Amino acid sequence: MEEAYVNAKGHIYDIQGYAVHDGPGIRTTVYTKGCPLRCLWCHSPESQEFGFQLSWLDVKCIGAEACEDACIKACPEGALTRGGPVKRTGTEETVIRPEIDRAKCTGCLKCTEVCIPKALYVAGWETDVDTVYARLMKDAVFFEGEGGVTVSGGEAMSQFDFTLNLCRRLKDSGIHICLDTTGFAPTERFAGILPWIDLFLYDIKHMDSYRHEKLTGVPNTLILDNARYIASHGGALQVRFPVIPKLNDSPENIAATADFCAELGDAVKLVQLLPYHQAGRVKYPRLGWTYRLKNVAPPSDAFMEKALEVFKARGLPCQIH
Amino acid sequence: MENFDYPMTARILGLKEKRKRINKDLRLNFERNRIITEYYRTHKNEYPILKRAGYLYTWLTTREINIDDDDIFLGDAGPHCRTVHFDIEQTSISWIESNFGDTDERFKAAWQVPGSVWVDDADREWILEAAKFWEDNNIAALAIGLMPEDFMPMRMGGPGGNMNLGKFLSGSYPGHFCPNYKRAVTVGFGECKRIAQEKLEAIRANTTAENVRSELFYMAYIKVCDGMIQMSKRYAEGCRKKAAETADPVRKAELLQMADSCDWIMEHPARTLWEGIQSLFFYLYLLIADGTHWADSPGLIDEFLGPLAEKDIAEGRLTRETAQELIDAFVLHIGDEIIMFPKPNNQQLIDAHAAGRTFFDLQGGGQNIAAGSLITIGGMTPDGKAGVYNIVTEMVLLGYLRLKVAEPSLALRINKYTPDRIWAIAIQCSIRSGGMPQFNNDDVLIQAMLDRGVPIEDARQYAVFGCVEPAISGKEWSMAANCGSFGAGAGPISVLQYIIHGNEDPMSHRKGDLPCKKLYEYDTFEELQAEFERQAKHYIDKMARMYHFAALVFRTYWPILSASMMTEGCLEKGKDVSEGGATYNGMGSMINAIATIGDSLYAIKKLCFEDKTVTTRELYDAIAANWEGHEMLRQRILNTLEHYGNDDDGPDSLVVWFTNLWVDYFNSRPGVNCGTNNCGALDLAWVMGGRFQWATPDGRKTGDPLSISSDPRQDCIKNGPLAYVKSVAKMPWVKLRCGGAINSRFDANSVKGDDATAKVRNLISTYFKLGGIQYHFTVADSEVMREAQKHPEDYQDLIVRIAGFSAYFTHMSKADQDDYINRFELGV
Repeated sequence: MEEAYVNAKGHIYDIQGYAVHDGPGIRTTVYTKGCPLRCLWCHSPESQEFGFQLSWLDVKCIGAEACEDACIKACPEGALTRGGPVKRTGTEETVIRPEIDRAKCTGCLKCTEVCIPKALYVAGWETDVDTVYARLMKDAVFFEGEGGVTVSGGEAMSQFDFTLNLCRRLKDSGIHICLDTTGFAPTERFAGILPWIDLFLYDIKHMDSYRHEKLTGVPNTLILDNARYIASHGGALQVRFPVIPKLNDSPENIAATADFCAELGDAVKLVQLLPYHQAGRVKYPRLGWTYRLKNVAPPSDAFMEKALEVFKARGLPCQIH
Repeated sequence: MENFDYPMTARILGLKEKRKRINKDLRLNFERNRIITEYYRTHKNEYPILKRAGYLYTWLTTREINIDDDDIFLGDAGPHCRTVHFDIEQTSISWIESNFGDTDERFKAAWQVPGSVWVDDADREWILEAAKFWEDNNIAALAIGLMPEDFMPMRMGGPGGNMNLGKFLSGSYPGHFCPNYKRAVTVGFGECKRIAQEKLEAIRANTTAENVRSELFYMAYIKVCDGMIQMSKRYAEGCRKKAAETADPVRKAELLQMADSCDWIMEHPARTLWEGIQSLFFYLYLLIADGTHWADSPGLIDEFLGPLAEKDIAEGRLTRETAQELIDAFVLHIGDEIIMFPKPNNQQLIDAHAAGRTFFDLQGGGQNIAAGSLITIGGMTPDGKAGVYNIVTEMVLLGYLRLKVAEPSLALRINKYTPDRIWAIAIQCSIRSGGMPQFNNDDVLIQAMLDRGVPIEDARQYAVFGCVEPAISGKEWSMAANCGSFGAGAGPISVLQYIIHGNEDPMSHRKGDLPCKKLYEYDTFEELQAEFERQAKHYIDKMARMYHFAALVFRTYWPILSASMMTEGCLEKGKDVSEGGATYNGMGSMINAIATIGDSLYAIKKLCFEDKTVTTRELYDAIAANWEGHEMLRQRILNTLEHYGNDDDGPDSLVVWFTNLWVDYFNSRPGVNCGTNNCGALDLAWVMGGRFQWATPDGRKTGDPLSISSDPRQDCIKNGPLAYVKSVAKMPWVKLRCGGAINSRFDANSVKGDDATAKVRNLISTYFKLGGIQYHFTVADSEVMREAQKHPEDYQDLIVRIAGFSAYFTHMSKADQDDYINRFELGV
């Protein structure tokens, strides 16, 4: 008899159905909040902090006149003030929008409680295993065949109690589970969660630890060790290699990545080469952040095909995207 | 993964280019209108069905026979390839007078500049003269002569203007049916004529009060058979003449082969794939000449063309490649018959030309401009023991995949027999060619036919016509949604307006039929629901009753002989389809703006009666002011209330409630020709329809687009595509047996990767398992669409799925394009 799971609390920032790039079949993905890495190309900046941040989606703002300065009045720090008039997107209306002084903002989030159009909103919320489980199971009818749930991040392994209990609960219901991870967590956590995970979606970002730390903020040794641990203890891996021009696309690094995947052996079910894209850029201003990666354009199709050849040459099952 | 992008032959590429060229040099078809006007003017007293036969016979035997140098299939319904059809007997006289009777300067600016649909001075003079004859003789004039008085105000869009009688009275022919092309191809007019003659002789031996009309029917029938056989032989003659003039020995031999075939077909069953397709076209030309072309379907074409193709290949007449070339030519040519709908006025044309836009830009995004409008492929045998998926099924899909044509629409039937390869090609085709085919769920559609009382063998033979409407292929007179639909942007939405505004349409200030309370006068939500039900039933009754009168117009004055020629039951019973000749009869009507209504009811219920955070008076005042001064309340409704489309039973259950109410009552009313009424959920004009609707409690502002068909409100889909699909699947689809579109949009990234096909298939299959009826999807990317707005010339092939039909993006109006991009960006 299995011991009962605990209704652990967790921080998440999204749940998305039909997440077609997060593993086999039709999947619903839960995105946990908070990540120990700071990848330069991160396309979900709202996933990085463990706490909740004030976010600002200007197009939704109806103007301070219409709501009678609701957010400005609600701010105890005076961090919100009336800005200059701007045209409301998609209309001819001119509106006065608030300006956020991020230096004064303490993150109390009181303004988000009064903003009815949800132009000021919180990235992320606290929830628990039972609530997330109930939401995910609404999509279960789509999971037939290969589909299921993907637990992603942020870094889900950073909220181990929540992730482990959620995965156990889902597994008890016969749901196929992918864990999308950076691999940056204590090895004993991977040992603990291994029985409940059908497939690890596992990022390998750079084979050189020094470069890895430059690009992501952490060295790669633990990540590579954990990959070896999973492979040698019966886990299945879908390795994901984000190809970022100039940063990790040197022939040497591509070859070293392919060699590493080959070394992991049969545990590697698929290697995905993910071409860098800039879709996440628009999310940075919402948090008042700046996108740090400059002068990098997505790699060409031809380059991706060439890189794929390197993996094919080692007999690895692999694809672009 | 295989991409199925097999090369097209040089000849097909040439035919495609030719069509692009012709699109810049279109002409209105006056030939047919001159023949019918002349015949009707000189045969005023002839009995209606004989008059119809006389006109058709004259057209078949005297029209210009057009054989283009490079064409694989012969002829057109007009005097040359891609003429633009309009039917003078169905055309509003005021349209003719205001356009052609306009000043010379304005007429020329509208009809005689590059990019216009050309009208010669002589044709202009002729049509103004002809209009004088048709003023008292066109369908609208005849209809007005028999409509009861209480329908008359509906013409003005007044009380009960939710019923689109205006469209009918302005003279739209019914169209929307699926005649028995199979019989035309595999039996032929010769054999049908022989049967008709036998029947005629039997009646003449014993004429009674009951069968006297049948005698006239058979006389008319035989005349048209003769005309069809003669037209075919005239084409044979034309081919021989052309062959004699042709130096190229290959084309010469081809023309002589075509001549032999044309001498044979129509009189006899087709022997080869080429003959089968040519027979199909000849019958299509007849339907167009008869003016019945609007949104018809040639039925389950693979069922009758497949065996011919297989035989040709087995006997060495065709290879797989040459057979594909024939199918490619078929796909191109069946989109050639262009129908002018709607009819633009001079000012619209002048404005369009000034803006560098063409005729197509005024055609509502290309909707309904091609005749033969929906081809159905796939299915199962009448005994249900095997699927019908053959070489033609596959080749038609490959044709659409590679040719990227927006019309006619293509429907694929899905059932347990659908082969993996067909699924794969169909999904790739849909990804690359803008939502073709639409996927149809046999489980639901066959059950829907059974519920109408159709025996199982015939239920399994349904085909789809129009946009999404099913009928029994070749055996049903359906007239769906076209004698007056509940109306684009109307119907239940008008009832909603009446119950909020006390029996008044706030846009026009016209009163409805049934006095009632205003929103702030209801004591309970149940009371408001009861009023909705009372009003709904009143207008449904009125509508169902109106259909009988609409049908009477055709039965009395305007038999639909071309359809009767090949609709099962008519030849057997000696009755025109308008008299109930067809084996099955159905009358479809569509409801729409479903999310707008459901979300509105939910907002009233939740805010005013459950949470009691807003009084009905406050909500009423906000709506009456079109939300001006009430923006915060509007934002609350948009951002904090649940909406249909998110798998939330709160709003979803109200959508299901009013849909059930409408469907159950409409389907239960006595149908035309003792057939069934069939409700569906489809909208073609939510942008246009929305312009005439006042603000609604769901937060929509006056004039903004309504929600589309059964789709959720575009900006309120918060839980992603799976929840969206689950919400829509809650609709009572088996009862919505006139069909209904769900339109998913995927961004280009989501269909990349080797397993994308499997994922899309899984999504469609799950929707079907949940009870969904039809599924369409488009893959596009909003950046590409914005580029296409800026540089339309570079994006002539960009096709998007609208609502039951696909359209070239660059042919859509700016408002429709913006709405489409807006919806698309919301990620569904």
